[in-house]
Amino acid sequence: MTNDQYTRRRFLVASAAALSGLTLSSCGWTLAKVSGAPIKTTAADRKVLYIYTWAGYTDDDLLKRFNDETGIKVVADVFGSNEEMLAKIEAAGGGEYSIIYPSDYTVSKMVEKALLTELDHSLLIGLDNLFSRFRDPIADPGLRYSVPMAWGATGLIYNSQKLNIAPLDWDYLWAHKQDLSKRMTLLDDVREVLGATLKMLGYSYNSTDPQEIKQAYEKLTQLKPAIASFKTDAWQNEILSGDLLLAMCFSSDANKVIQEDKDNKLQFVVPHSGSSIWTDTLVIPKTARNVEGAYAWINFILQPDVAAQLCERLRFAPPNEVAYNQLPPEIRNSPSLFPPESILAKCESIAPLEQVAEVYDNYWTRLKSG
Amino acid sequence: MSVTSLQKQSYPQTSAELDVELHKVFKVFNGETAVRGVDLNINRGEFFSILGPSGCGKTTILRLMAGFESPSAGEVLIQGQSMNHVPPYKRPVNTVFQSYALFNHLNVWENIAFGLRIKKLLSSELEYRVKEALKLVKMEAYTNRFPAQLSGGQQQRVALARALVNRPAVVLLDEPLGALDLKLRKEMQVELSNLHQNLGLTFVMVTHDQEEALSLSDRIAVMRTGKIEQIGTPTEIYERPRTAFVADFIGDTNLFKARKESYDASSLQIVTSTGMKMIVQPPEAGDMGQEVIVSIRPEKIQLSLYQPPMAVNCFEGRLQHVMYLGTHVHYVVELITGDRLTVMQPNTHGHLPDPHTPIYAHWAATDCLALKE
Amino acid sequence: MSTPTSHSSIPNPTPSDESLEPNLQVGKRRSWKKLLEPLALLAPGGIWLGLLLLLPTLLIFELSLVPNIRPGDVVNPSGLKNYLLVFQPIYLQVVWRSVYFAFGTTLVCLLLGFPVAYWIGQMAPQRWRNLLLLGFVLPLWTSSLLRSYAWITILRPTGVVNTILTSLKLPALDLLNQSAAVFIGMGYSYLPYMVLILYASIEKLDKRLLEASADLGAYPMQSFWKVTVPQTMPGIAAGSLLVFINTLGDFVDPELLGGASSMTISRLIYNQFLGATQNWGFGSSLSMVLILAVSIAIALLIKYGDRTPQR
Repeated sequence: MTNDQYTRRRFLVASAAALSGLTLSSCGWTLAKVSGAPIKTTAADRKVLYIYTWAGYTDDDLLKRFNDETGIKVVADVFGSNEEMLAKIEAAGGGEYSIIYPSDYTVSKMVEKALLTELDHSLLIGLDNLFSRFRDPIADPGLRYSVPMAWGATGLIYNSQKLNIAPLDWDYLWAHKQDLSKRMTLLDDVREVLGATLKMLGYSYNSTDPQEIKQAYEKLTQLKPAIASFKTDAWQNEILSGDLLLAMCFSSDANKVIQEDKDNKLQFVVPHSGSSIWTDTLVIPKTARNVEGAYAWINFILQPDVAAQLCERLRFAPPNEVAYNQLPPEIRNSPSLFPPESILAKCESIAPLEQVAEVYDNYWTRLKSG
Repeated sequence: MSVTSLQKQSYPQTSAELDVELHKVFKVFNGETAVRGVDLNINRGEFFSILGPSGCGKTTILRLMAGFESPSAGEVLIQGQSMNHVPPYKRPVNTVFQSYALFNHLNVWENIAFGLRIKKLLSSELEYRVKEALKLVKMEAYTNRFPAQLSGGQQQRVALARALVNRPAVVLLDEPLGALDLKLRKEMQVELSNLHQNLGLTFVMVTHDQEEALSLSDRIAVMRTGKIEQIGTPTEIYERPRTAFVADFIGDTNLFKARKESYDASSLQIVTSTGMKMIVQPPEAGDMGQEVIVSIRPEKIQLSLYQPPMAVNCFEGRLQHVMYLGTHVHYVVELITGDRLTVMQPNTHGHLPDPHTPIYAHWAATDCLALKE
Repeated sequence: MSTPTSHSSIPNPTPSDESLEPNLQVGKRRSWKKLLEPLALLAPGGIWLGLLLLLPTLLIFELSLVPNIRPGDVVNPSGLKNYLLVFQPIYLQVVWRSVYFAFGTTLVCLLLGFPVAYWIGQMAPQRWRNLLLLGFVLPLWTSSLLRSYAWITILRPTGVVNTILTSLKLPALDLLNQSAAVFIGMGYSYLPYMVLILYASIEKLDKRLLEASADLGAYPMQSFWKVTVPQTMPGIAAGSLLVFINTLGDFVDPELLGGASSMTISRLIYNQFLGATQNWGFGSSLSMVLILAVSIAIALLIKYGDRTPQR
């Protein structure tokens, strides 16, 4: 297992580190109030930029090029889930990081907790390069605190050689549950699994109606006997070996697996009735030591050729229209990297739940322990 | 030596009367030979002791009988049956272990009942026999105690009861009293002897305590470096030791290296390396070469202040040490020849001579044994 | 026996005035020392435990009294609602599954570990023992996640086991994504702990007791149940408890190997703190119940587990 394979919401990788951060963060006694003491910046701080990112978003070439262009040395730490990152940032009062890579819904949480610096748009170069739909996200209207750097959708990866009929939508799972029996996995994620089922039933991915959620749960109990396992990790080898026929996964993971698939049997589809779409962003925490370097980094990532090269090397989709246009056609046409607009239009981002969270959790626990 | 012991037992008793037989048994551990060609016949109902210094192989012999070891060569028979391929749990013997090896997770009752439970006895029968065994060793009051709550003597009794309750053909006792203090040991010796007489079982005991062996046993085998040096009744072993080792190991003795001078049917005259001329009892076993060892027991030596008339084996010397032992007095006499004699006399006078008193030591020819080296 | 120690009944001779003073001082100094020495010995560990065990536990306890608390909320203890939630049937089902996984794994470890520990502790040559133990502990040096992934590779339908089975013309086994895989994976992870603890106990086993048992007519199997097992009971109990507690808190193997019905209490707790639905109060009450259950198990072990040598 190389580190590259962990990307988003990795519960297993995250768990140990996150739990240790928890106890500390609760010591502050109103939970998670981060001290707002002014940060002193020294000249030495400006030479180094600490970033806190997901695995798979940076490589040595990228860091080297940034160093060549700006003279700033980048030290990258990796987290496995937004929750882990948040717990650590809150526990350590922000730590030494000047750039963090939260996902969209976490950005709004961090804004709520006043953890982020409001961005000075006059210092940013190339925001215009972004696709227009990324310029005003619900999680951070007007990009006041965050700049999107990658996006993806949840979908289905499947073995096209063994499945005679290719899946197009979520209802495929129910229709073909005999063929898929114990040969498919779903994400180990309450929101994704219940959300997808809600979507299939014609509701919102973020439904807050207990009746709708109940319907989704009941639908899932019908599918349950055919599900081999709920896995966010560890389905990759099994689908490559042919033991799994289908897995629900994030497009970013699908891209990496498809690259490793020697016999071109694997295909990825974003279900036609819609799915979840997420964006990972760049933010500057209030505690940043090297704000200057942080802006330099954001501008660097916004450069179309940098974004395009990253997309080719690391296989994640940039929200950067200029970069997209520079990409070779076979990458531009990859359905796993850039699903068709028509489907994307039906996708939703995952929104906070507030009070219904408990309902979701209750059905999820029922589903996974039944 | 094994030749003589064979001769001694050259009239084989019918096997029905023999409980344990060892035929030319050898035992080798990692190249070290612990037992070298031992022959033994133990009669039914006999109290038989195996006596010897530590490391002589006596415990190994007991373990061969119990089945914890198997012989490298030779054969072990119990009640006429070859035991060579019979595991310990199928042998009609029970062992009283050196440090008792009581089950510390079981109370006294359960320790004693262990063997009977294995045999799946009826509970009424089991209860009767355990009670009987408890009574036998006078431990009725302790049935619910655990071994850690018992004194050494009490543990010893439980260990005995645990073996006897199974009514084995042969009871094997490995230094059974070794861990007890002197007074308790004396008491237990008496009890052991009574038990043996009352039960009529064959007891085989291993001990390094010669006094214990002499007082308890019908017969004793004295062992040295894996071989049997002599088998005999306690009096035979003590009065007629066949070798210098046996004479020395059983009780105290004065030993002299000597050479034969003249020899006739009734007496043998020898001269020691320091020039003492003595008339001694000739050995039973015929010719034994020119070099002999002479043994005189300390209690057989007479001391007198004046030269006794007509005395054979009379030598002049002076008292070197006088040790008062209550019932006896222990003297060390330095002879003119430079030899030293240990003398033991009953305390009849109550008056002790001073050290350095000139003195005469003398003894009868019959009390002076010529032995093989 | 007849008289108690006579010394105690004799009154102490009255010391003269001169000797009384210095004696008292020495006594005082001693009593200070008597107090300070254990304090000095206990302080580092005590502070460590207090800061890192007791304090967090108290914090969790306080959190457990707050319904629906989320990160950022003000702690405001208000009752036992969270604890009542724990006893809903779905959560009891989760608890039951965790206990089932933990118990099964403990059994697997015991059944596999005992013969190994017995062999190392009683039969292997003395000079090899430490090396053998080391070899047994070696798997612990790899990451537990890596081991779980390895088990997937071994157990999956086209995995190592089935490749071997089919090449031997034997029917393939469906092992992955069920309880059996959890027992295999967790059993493998915790076997070394079991073996180490059993070894410590079995090594001390008095061989003469086995001889005594055989001497009294017990066949080897009877000796095992009547002597070896009771004699090594402290080790069996301690090893089982250690494995049980650890597996009760483990969720990696159930998640990765256990299939779709794999929710354990520890994963449930995790979800309450770091999952999409955050309810720290409920998570804390679940933790408290877990802590309590484990504490009771340990207390029972201490009280009844080690009663072999004396009673």
